[in-house]
Amino acid sequence: MDPSEVEFLAEKETVKIIPNFSLDKIYLIGGDLGPFNPGLPVDVPVWLALNLKQRQKCRIVPPAWMDVEKLEEMRELERKENAFTPAPSPYYMELTKLLLNYASDNIPKADEIRTLVKDLWDTRIAKLRLSADKFISQLEAHAKLDNLTLMEINTIRAFLLDSLNCMYKLRSNLLPGSSKGQFTDY
Amino acid sequence: MPCERKPMRYGHSEGHTEVCFDDSGRFLVTCGNDGDVRIWEGLDDDDPKFITVGEKAYSLALKNGKLVTASSNNTVQIHTFPDGDPDGILTRFTTNATHVAFNSSGSRVAAGSSDFMVKVVEVSDSSQQKTLRGHEAPVLSVTLDPKDDFLASASCDGSVAVWNIEEQSQLIRWPLLQKTNDVSNAKSLCRLAWQPAGALAVPVETKVHLYARGSWDLASTLSDDLQTQLINVVAWSPCGRFLAAGGVGGSLTVWDVTSELCVERQKHEKGFTVCGLAWSPSGSQLAYTDTEGCLGLLDGLGSSSSTSSSSTSTKPARKAAEDYDDLFDDDDDGRLMDEGLSDGNNSPVKKPVAGDDEDDDDCLMPATGRPRNRGAVLDDELSLGERGSLFCSAVTPAAPPPGPLRPVYEGPLPTPPQKAFQPGSTPAHLTHRFMMWNSVGIVRGYNDDQDNAVDVEFHDTAVHHAMHLTNSLGHTMADLSQEAVTGSYLMVLRTRAAIQEAGSVHQGGAKVLQVGHERSLTINTPGFDGDQALGVQLLRLGPRKRQLIRGEALPLSHRSHLTWLGFTAEGTPCYADSEGAVRMLNRSLGNTWTPVCNTGETCKSRSDHYWVVGVHENPQQLRCIPCKGSRYPPTLPRPAVAILPFKLPMCQTSTEKGLMEEQFLRSVLFENHFGFLSASGYEVDEEAQTRSQKEQQELLMKMFALSCKLEREFRCVELAELMTHNAVTLAIRYASRSRRMGLAQRLSEVALEKANRLQQQQEEEEEESEEEPDNRPEQVEQVPEPGEEEEEEEQAEEMEQDEEPETRKRQFHRGLVFVPPQVSSSASFSPSAAAPPRGTNILDNMASGRKASPLAGSAGKANKGPVLKPLPPRPRSKTQSTLLQMTSSKKKTQGITQKQPEAPPPAPPPAPPADSGENERPKTGFQLWLEENRKSICADHPELEETEVIKEAMGRFRTLSAEERLVRAPLPPPPPPRAPERSLKGLMRRLHLLKVFQLIRPTEQISRWVNKGGGGCNDAPPPFIHTIPNRH
Repeated sequence: MDPSEVEFLAEKETVKIIPNFSLDKIYLIGGDLGPFNPGLPVDVPVWLALNLKQRQKCRIVPPAWMDVEKLEEMRELERKENAFTPAPSPYYMELTKLLLNYASDNIPKADEIRTLVKDLWDTRIAKLRLSADKFISQLEAHAKLDNLTLMEINTIRAFLLDSLNCMYKLRSNLLPGSSKGQFTDY
Repeated sequence: MPCERKPMRYGHSEGHTEVCFDDSGRFLVTCGNDGDVRIWEGLDDDDPKFITVGEKAYSLALKNGKLVTASSNNTVQIHTFPDGDPDGILTRFTTNATHVAFNSSGSRVAAGSSDFMVKVVEVSDSSQQKTLRGHEAPVLSVTLDPKDDFLASASCDGSVAVWNIEEQSQLIRWPLLQKTNDVSNAKSLCRLAWQPAGALAVPVETKVHLYARGSWDLASTLSDDLQTQLINVVAWSPCGRFLAAGGVGGSLTVWDVTSELCVERQKHEKGFTVCGLAWSPSGSQLAYTDTEGCLGLLDGLGSSSSTSSSSTSTKPARKAAEDYDDLFDDDDDGRLMDEGLSDGNNSPVKKPVAGDDEDDDDCLMPATGRPRNRGAVLDDELSLGERGSLFCSAVTPAAPPPGPLRPVYEGPLPTPPQKAFQPGSTPAHLTHRFMMWNSVGIVRGYNDDQDNAVDVEFHDTAVHHAMHLTNSLGHTMADLSQEAVTGSYLMVLRTRAAIQEAGSVHQGGAKVLQVGHERSLTINTPGFDGDQALGVQLLRLGPRKRQLIRGEALPLSHRSHLTWLGFTAEGTPCYADSEGAVRMLNRSLGNTWTPVCNTGETCKSRSDHYWVVGVHENPQQLRCIPCKGSRYPPTLPRPAVAILPFKLPMCQTSTEKGLMEEQFLRSVLFENHFGFLSASGYEVDEEAQTRSQKEQQELLMKMFALSCKLEREFRCVELAELMTHNAVTLAIRYASRSRRMGLAQRLSEVALEKANRLQQQQEEEEEESEEEPDNRPEQVEQVPEPGEEEEEEEQAEEMEQDEEPETRKRQFHRGLVFVPPQVSSSASFSPSAAAPPRGTNILDNMASGRKASPLAGSAGKANKGPVLKPLPPRPRSKTQSTLLQMTSSKKKTQGITQKQPEAPPPAPPPAPPADSGENERPKTGFQLWLEENRKSICADHPELEETEVIKEAMGRFRTLSAEERLVRAPLPPPPPPRAPERSLKGLMRRLHLLKVFQLIRPTEQISRWVNKGGGGCNDAPPPFIHTIPNRH
């Protein structure tokens, strides 16, 4: 999976918008949307929200977690805990990126939020690397991926799996006595 | 009260705070626990200059541009004023100084310290110091004699001492105070003050002792009966006639020393202890600070003192003994009262200071409410004075002087009347505020240093684009509505003068009521015991002016005020009060107000509120803005509207029955507006009405079934009485099926009764309709707005292909009556020729005169919800063709118009895929033909059902010759009005489909498909499209 695919999945999340047009309910395969009343908030998927926003047909109401105070709290908690804390949203990184890129004028303190989310992300990725390191050095057989978001798993998956494969090959070659892994090579 | 108590403002962090004026009286200078000295240019200064003098500042004194402060580093420092540059250290102690004071000329500074010492230092030469030793505890305060000979000090050892400065010796010592070990523990700060003329004022518990200079005798004692707590600090006015005292618990008292009368009595608005007092050099203002770091000001003291001085100057000096007072007490009181009345000044109790027993009685009597033989005026005034101070925070400014000779009244007090306000706007004193937020748009007002402007924004940008106007005239009110005939907007701006009116008159913006209802609200009558008595009027304007509600009382929750008043979008008056209760006019119940929602219940905390911006009855929505911890929303960040459901206050809403009852009643209540609208001659959304009626009947049936199950037969019968005839039949069937024959019997009686009643009603109605056919004029008045017309046309397109005859007839009629604005301007159009402005050319050419009907009909059609009876469902083929249609709708429709005449559709219900594009659906030849000939068909076969009529019509149409059919050439599609929205919908669909495809198909294929033109018409669409379920 590449990041754009994850982002694509993230676009299915709903977000509140305040449209400035009126339109009846529309019936889509993915569910009904609307009705759109000017000035009244309505829930729509992110892809539609961004599209409407780019056409200047709506204002986006930032999700509740996209708030400086809440994010600061989460960041502190993330720094304190050893394990991963629950992410503000399963697609927090993608949503932040999408919303801040296209609708930063509707989000108060956009810059601060950007840095905070980046901090959060960095902390989590660092933790992830650290635990991957531990995982390898201590020759663990399995690891729990609690509270990891799809994007985070994706960033490390390709690298981790490849390197694990590689190491497995190397190890099994090191021990000629063991029959494991021989057949994978040749 | 003649003096005005300005609102307190935050000065320093919590803790001991002191204040003084500079020599000019222009600046207020405060010091506080945060170690800063702040220089305020008046109380309203938002950005005071500050000088940091240490970690804490205990005391300050200011004279001749020298600012002396006692700070936490045990020094007494000088700073220049107003620049705030450090100017050296005056003196040091072994611990912190507690109080510093200048002499009258400003040449010397006295400082008392917690190390028991008092020092007197020359400002010009700090080496010249006099040290006064003798106190046995920290020094509380110091003051210098105006003639520079003496110094008085108070200390925690309980003594107040007078010193000779030159000899550095103690002259006299009074043990007046309670002993404590530290300043922080002292009950009273005991700030002394030396009168410019000579007397030394010493606050002793709740009184102030005045000692004569030289003889050091107790000259007199100033007291106030209402002073129950210790006095902390005293200060002499510059003229030396008035003495102000501030005390624990926030009391502020001013005495006229010559008469020993209390001339002013105020209370700190929050009851914090006053610990700093300063008179302005002019003597008209008194600044005070409290132990919480706040700064306050009493203004206009000069005027009050002059009037009282004029009234008291005639009297003999009252320094005499107390028994002397006793003798003349009554007379003096009476005279004073008269004078007080004559100049309309009733603020303080004008009462001898010396607490004589007789007078105390006077004060007590009114409280018990016993009638007294001693002149009611006196009692009343006294009681009022007492009340005025007791309820200072609540009523002082507003309490009007009661008429003379009113009997003693000690009951609940009048509630201060609510100030005039405009619903939907935040208070005018805010610099950034909403001048109006309603269903149409938002008007924001900015009034700060940089900008004085008004921002107008419409929720629906199709109404009008946003605007930014400069507000050079200082407008404070605004309103927005959609109703203007131009179809754009109407803005009413009024200047401040309008606000001064007792009520705010506000033009109704209810769009449905185009002729306009205007309401007027008058707020005048004060209520009692926290309840206001507001009057409300409902006026109906337009051709038949009428006052529907004549100043009746508006019921408000206990101790609340009105926060919003307006019309729902459907035109029913509605209001909200500060407790969160929203009430709506129930027209069916003799114009009573029914509570429909309590926003307070949905709030998370007590300090949260909902700020109502609009009420809609259909759909049932209460639009409001949640405000966290305030009553009004801030302009930034932009608040979001929340929608609350309505909920009638009913018992047992937790049970199923209660829930259904609530739903039923709510449905009935919110259906009222339909009746009202149709009664006043407006178009009604009949679809919605039938829907809500159906909902009601369903609910009734459910309740009926429920009570049947519970064997509550009487309830069943009662419910049945509420039902319509059809529903009763159903109910009877239900009852008989569930083997309740007795019930069924009774129900059939009910049904019979109902049928009879119905018949009677119909007869009556017929008579009535004959009597008054005067409903028409109003309809004629109704001028369709272009904006609305667009909507109508849009709906006309969306309209199903066939219409019911009777609706068409009505529309036709209306089409004649309606004169669209564009046409009416160009003089002489006969009604029949009044063609709608758009897309009529072909039609007109083709069939002049009467032929205006179909289009005129559709254009003049009801705005919302075209009246469409259930027709044979025409399945919208919304599979591939929909998609294709949308992508190339323009081209396609042209193609259709060319194709169609040759091949009229065989049957309208399953419409051919070619013209089923939702957006632009041209009328087929058959339709046109049908519309023209429907009447004749109906006449021929009156018994036919709708579907059968169409079938019949189809048969006839087939018999026509090809040429005849060709004449019915379909209209070219009217230009798509509101193109953005239409295309938006299509776009949303396309986007969505793309998303869906992407999910199931490899991206490449899709992009290829998209690049080819988004499923262009000739291209074979992706096969799986057929599997998409049809949503209709």
